[in-house]
Amino acid sequence: MKQPSDLVISLFDAALLRTASVLVPSLQREEWRREWSAELWHVRRSYAGIDNTFSLESQREITAFCLGAFPDALCLRTQPAKGIAAPVHVHGSALQTLLWLSAALALCFVISRLLPGVQAENDAAQYQIKPGVLLVSEAVASGAAPSISATLYQNWKATRQRFFRELAFYRIARETADAGTISLSLNVAHSTANLFRLLDLPIKYADGSDDAEGNLPAVILSHDTWMRSFAGNPHVAGHVLRIGHTRVRIAGVAPAGGWQLPGRPDAWLLESNAQIAAGSASRTNGYLFARLSPRGLASMSGSGISISARNQDGTEIDLYGASIPAPVEGPWGIYEFAIFLALVALPAVISVSLGETHVSSHRPSTKQRLSRILFFTAKFLLIAAIGFSASLDLAYSNTIGYSPFAECLQLLWCFTICLFGFRWAVADQRKRCPVCLRRVSHPATVGLASRTFLGWNGTEMICMGGHALLHVPSLPTSWFGGQRWLYLDSSWDFLFADNGVY
Amino acid sequence: MLRMAAEIKLSHTAAMILQAISTGYVYGFSIMEMTGLPSGTVYPAMRRLERDDLIRSQWERQSIADAEQRPPRKYYKLTAAGRATLETSRKRYPLLERLISTEEAKTT
Repeated sequence: MKQPSDLVISLFDAALLRTASVLVPSLQREEWRREWSAELWHVRRSYAGIDNTFSLESQREITAFCLGAFPDALCLRTQPAKGIAAPVHVHGSALQTLLWLSAALALCFVISRLLPGVQAENDAAQYQIKPGVLLVSEAVASGAAPSISATLYQNWKATRQRFFRELAFYRIARETADAGTISLSLNVAHSTANLFRLLDLPIKYADGSDDAEGNLPAVILSHDTWMRSFAGNPHVAGHVLRIGHTRVRIAGVAPAGGWQLPGRPDAWLLESNAQIAAGSASRTNGYLFARLSPRGLASMSGSGISISARNQDGTEIDLYGASIPAPVEGPWGIYEFAIFLALVALPAVISVSLGETHVSSHRPSTKQRLSRILFFTAKFLLIAAIGFSASLDLAYSNTIGYSPFAECLQLLWCFTICLFGFRWAVADQRKRCPVCLRRVSHPATVGLASRTFLGWNGTEMICMGGHALLHVPSLPTSWFGGQRWLYLDSSWDFLFADNGVY
Repeated sequence: MLRMAAEIKLSHTAAMILQAISTGYVYGFSIMEMTGLPSGTVYPAMRRLERDDLIRSQWERQSIADAEQRPPRKYYKLTAAGRATLETSRKRYPLLERLISTEEAKTT
């Protein structure tokens, strides 16, 4: 006669099996359930008493048996079907690490290609002003303030120059631009037509057509203005707009970040020499640029040249022609500096020793040592490359154009990423088995700190491939200063089954 | 194939289960009883051994089970590869045969 408690527990056991069966793949579920039901029948019969009742102990044993169905079901769920190769166990493997780093690098690279600020930074570095071009200003004035009048430029232009081959001039004025539907207030640089040629700056999206509007003065838009007011329209050249009272034709767009000279023009209105010095504009100061002739180059000492000139009224003025420094370091220049700083600072954050001390006579083969070096080098190079791309992404994520502040950010981010990335690479390398390059695991504390002078204490880790033990002292002593590898011989093999099979 | 199977290194538990099957404990519960291992260890291990072709399972005929008024059971037996692997394991674990001997199975 079955007791009510037996009935409840047998129902509970059956429910356990049914719940576990949910974990079994559907194709195997029916057979699995049949096997476990049959086994349960035999288990219950073996534990049943003479009067077919169950003691509490027996019930517990039967329930424990049913609970074993869960690991079995999970085993069927996780193991690949027969005939399908088991996936390679790569957790913590060298290959997995390199794949992760490569994926991170690819992601950073793709993001950097999409950020307009990064493009502007590259352009700024690309369009450096070549040596031999001087910014001429009054000796007493600072280079940033306009100090040369258009009249003086005209005088120089009209007379034969010994030291200068070509001259260009511009002055900045605030003007209103009317582009039909939109009206803009722009910083317009009224410049001579040869300004861009003298500075070797290309004009993008230039319109080569010679239409009816070809006689209008040409205006070059800055990259920011083009993006902001013309939505980056690549066919903007040829459009007519009005600047002040003058109708002008858009001739192209200046490269992003290409302008590194005084003033922040939104547009350059290219004018003839007569227009530059016409009316009240002749008294407005601007910036004068000169390209040195071979004779001028020969006579120039240092980064500048002192010039004495006569003013319109015959008075002498002292001028100074300064070569234009490259304000843009360029992403590569900043990157190289950041890498240098990171390498210098690395010993301050981690000991650069890789802990190659061995306490047994066994040594890894040359091939294994070479693999270890190659793996370490690959990690280092990937981290350095990630530092370059990621720092650009972070520095220019909020900037659409070239900015000195973004360059500082790039330097900071690149230094930080490289420093801590290299630190990780060294620390990771120390935990890699010299034979198979897998990370050691299963840390175990050995010894007692209070007995440091009697025996070593620290952490012991093991390579799951069964190749070596890593001993890391918790308190470095004169006789156990750094980590040590202990290679395991074949007598340890029985502890290590094949790749995760059993 | 046999040589490859013999080279598979079994854990002590898996070797015990193979030894139990080879000595006549041919279904899960009897292996549990013989080895003292819990069901959550024995059945998953047998799945893996079967996956690796070291053992093979077969359902008992329904007529036999009906005659004895019980559900049919699933029996396991060693394959040739399983026997070769067991031979290798016996060399690695010399006490294996003493733990589960053939005579013991016969008397059970």
